[in-house]
Amino acid sequence: MTPLRHKLLRDIRAQRAQFIAVIVTIFLGVTLFAASYDSYQNLAASYESTFTEFRFANVTMAGGDVAGFAEIARQQPGVESVELRTVGDVPLQVGDLKLLGRVVGMPLDTQPAVNQLRITEGAYLTANEPGTALVEEHMADHFSLAPGGTFEVLSPSGWQTVTVGGVASSPEYIWPARDRQELITSPDNFGVAFVGESLAQEIVGTDRPTEAIVYYVDGEDDQALTELLLAEAAAGGATVSFARDDQPSNAALSEDLKGFEELAVFFPMLFLAAAAMATYVMIGRLVHAQRPQIGVLLANGFTRRQVLGHYLGYGVIPGLIGAIPGAVAGVVLARIITGFYTEMLSVPSTLIRFYPTTLLAGVVFGLVASVLAVISPALLASRIAPAEAMRGSAPAGGGRASILERIVPRLRRLPVPWRMALRGIERNPRRTLFTVLGVVLSLTLVLVSWGMLDTIVNLMDKQFVQIQQEDATVHFAGPVGTGDVLALEEIPGVAAAESVLQSPVVLVGDDRYESLLTTFDSGTAMHRFFGEDGKELPLPDDGLFLGNAMKDILGVEEGDAVQLSVSGYTTEARVAGFINEPLGTAAYASRDYVEAVVGTALPATSALIRYDEGAVVGDVRAELVDLEGVAAFEDANALYDTAQKFMIFFYVFVGVMLLFGGAMAFALIFSAMSVNIAERTREVATLLAVGTERRQISRMITAENMMVALFGIPLGLGFGYLAAKQAMASFESDLFAFDLYIRPSTFVISALAILVVALLSQWPGLRAIGHLDIAKIVKERSL
Amino acid sequence: MSVSLSSVWKTYGEGPTAVHALAGVDAEIPSGEFTVILGPSGSGKTTMLNLIGGIDDVTSGDLLVEDLNLTGLSNDDRVAYRRSTVGFVFQFFNLIPTLTALENVELVANLTMGDGAGRAAEVLEHVGLADRLDHFPAMLSGGEQQRVAIARALAKSPPILLCDEPTGELDFETGRLILELLRKVNREENQTVLLVTHNAAIGDMADRVLRLRSGSIVEDRRNANPIEARELTW
Repeated sequence: MTPLRHKLLRDIRAQRAQFIAVIVTIFLGVTLFAASYDSYQNLAASYESTFTEFRFANVTMAGGDVAGFAEIARQQPGVESVELRTVGDVPLQVGDLKLLGRVVGMPLDTQPAVNQLRITEGAYLTANEPGTALVEEHMADHFSLAPGGTFEVLSPSGWQTVTVGGVASSPEYIWPARDRQELITSPDNFGVAFVGESLAQEIVGTDRPTEAIVYYVDGEDDQALTELLLAEAAAGGATVSFARDDQPSNAALSEDLKGFEELAVFFPMLFLAAAAMATYVMIGRLVHAQRPQIGVLLANGFTRRQVLGHYLGYGVIPGLIGAIPGAVAGVVLARIITGFYTEMLSVPSTLIRFYPTTLLAGVVFGLVASVLAVISPALLASRIAPAEAMRGSAPAGGGRASILERIVPRLRRLPVPWRMALRGIERNPRRTLFTVLGVVLSLTLVLVSWGMLDTIVNLMDKQFVQIQQEDATVHFAGPVGTGDVLALEEIPGVAAAESVLQSPVVLVGDDRYESLLTTFDSGTAMHRFFGEDGKELPLPDDGLFLGNAMKDILGVEEGDAVQLSVSGYTTEARVAGFINEPLGTAAYASRDYVEAVVGTALPATSALIRYDEGAVVGDVRAELVDLEGVAAFEDANALYDTAQKFMIFFYVFVGVMLLFGGAMAFALIFSAMSVNIAERTREVATLLAVGTERRQISRMITAENMMVALFGIPLGLGFGYLAAKQAMASFESDLFAFDLYIRPSTFVISALAILVVALLSQWPGLRAIGHLDIAKIVKERSL
Repeated sequence: MSVSLSSVWKTYGEGPTAVHALAGVDAEIPSGEFTVILGPSGSGKTTMLNLIGGIDDVTSGDLLVEDLNLTGLSNDDRVAYRRSTVGFVFQFFNLIPTLTALENVELVANLTMGDGAGRAAEVLEHVGLADRLDHFPAMLSGGEQQRVAIARALAKSPPILLCDEPTGELDFETGRLILELLRKVNREENQTVLLVTHNAAIGDMADRVLRLRSGSIVEDRRNANPIEARELTW
């Protein structure tokens, strides 16, 4: 090894604490990148492989003349297979629990050509046992249903028992969503059973299939073909039609994938920027301190390129030490995350691959960040004039009063240590800037993570506490009169019951949008509506409330008319306003309004229930479920509780990010503080020599550093807020409205946490002051 | 190697703030001569040394080392010149603290030979530090550090040795030993030595003394009988 390499390694060893901080930051950034990017790739590949292996439909069309849609589809070049099937949402009873589930018709003996199943237990449906069903994996897991078990399903002829023939997973229900407007479901409220097509028709009460599903050659996407088929479906009166991308489960998974993609870019970028900043500050200082050494090298005939190469080494080494294990750890972590994730979601086909490009990209990113950081100081080193370098270095910064002192002259009367602290801030503006940036970056990382958590908690609270006011929903076996609903209030424990009519609806403005129309009683107390400005609005009797996203999709404004098709009936309706709801984009109307539009009294398909205070929920539920005509019971709290259970992942995520943010803040502030102290070793030694107490010097440096950190706090809070807003906006769609919400306490706690980290990160430097050997410093002056 | 300065000016800054560190210096320094350059602070001693060493550029005039005119030399040629022709010894030693004595010398020796470790050990032995090869600068006394610096300067066997206040940081006894060493290598290797100092007593050991004041040579004298370094007192 050449002496210059020895020097490089020993310099690094001499400043190991700072280098370790940089290495750890690079490691974390690269790990996050590789883990999230490989998870993204693995999940995307797993979904894609599932879609191909199980022939996931490219287009689904329901309602209207589905046989006609199928015929049109079959005639199109590029279409490989078309299937007709019956799908219907029907009440199921598993044990004592009644829920609104779904039956899906399947051919017997052979898998369908589109939307095939993976049988995880038991066997596929056969003609020998036409009365058996395959239960979708999520439902089977939740209710512990296995082959040989039974459940009840409500058909027009009454409840009938179905035997479980097996358990299956489906590309349609990797994420078990009822429809696009109801992406979040609980197994207590939604489950899927696959049965023979004729049994499905019997249960749903139809004599023909209700859905056409189309699979293209090799499942390849064909935008033009999709547009053609969807246009045909719309023209033919389909009430639900969507491309693969908009299929409810796939749409939910896409949101999830987007999250991983976001994670693979945003957070690593933050960490690598932080590492680069810390490296820049540190190597800038090193070059400054080694000016005489650089002078010696140049004076002895070293070329500027050799000097440049030597100082670039200070970026290459920590870059490689941080990035190589970081990339390996990330790739390993991605395998664990993918395995855990696909198992949790029961993805039928899981692909965990090794992507050498991720490994390489991780190393390159880490290396580039740290090398970019040292380019400027290294160039500076190589351009130093040797004669000038030999003269040694002048103390950093000019000697003049600080800006604050010039603005507020009274500050010049402060005690000298305070004046020194004030002037120290301006002494090395670049270092001050980087300390401030360190605080800003750390706060950004913390606020983006914590902001996500706050937003989701707020979203849940808004949907399940502020908007939905019911305690339960009772679904009837068939349409009932409003009087039947009111009769429910006689049941002990039921405080109020309101009629609801829910129907799939197609709204047409400039464009068309398939949604769900929910009709409430006028003046409903079961659902609250909030306008775009957050103010509560009463349900109008002169028009529809539409979800905010429809404003752009349909190109309509308040007061405009939209075409509304519901249950084969088409009419015009007035848009009375737009409402802000976090989940889905639905349409709402009052019973009075819809009855006036259609000119007839409407039945109810379900009832919203509110319990008496102190009512025993189990008893009320048992009473309601036992009523004749009650097909299913949905506990509003079950969904909320399920969502809350999932929050634990977010808490862990935010906890880890807080830890990472703290580590990053520590690394950055520690580097800047160490340099701050190193730069003034000589003056500190002088102060000590003239009798200043070490404690007093520590206080002075602490005051200076904390003033800089304090300056970064409001900037960090502002920048963090904007970054969080940007991050949440990328998840925004008609499925979710992620309006950023950060609790005031989050701002306060984040700011305090970063200040505490800033305070702690000074400790090693201040401790070094305590151990300064004045005589040694004088001796080292020559070195 | 001989050094020739002809109307050499070195000016820092421009206009009214311009400072003439050297103001038209003329001097001829023959090969193998031990020259001491004397003068108070700011007289231009170090500037003259830096110009001869090729680490600074003359503003006007000609500076020739043998036949090579350093004036207007390209950067690459300047590097080549420094590499092959001059060795530096500094007041503050300027050793690299993270390298051992051997490595500090080897660093420079490698510039002119593939593996300079052998040569480095050889010159360190020559300056009396054979038992200090693996010591870091902080483990050496001031005199030992300066001897490492001299060894480093000698490692390339440069024909010209430039010493800037080599005894400035040393006590009397150690300073005298360093001067003895410099005189010894001057004689043994026939190197041209230029030694800058503000200590007039050191002039007594030189073949020739140049005294500078305000950028000009105010005295140029030869010692008919230079004394040995060990006889110096100050």
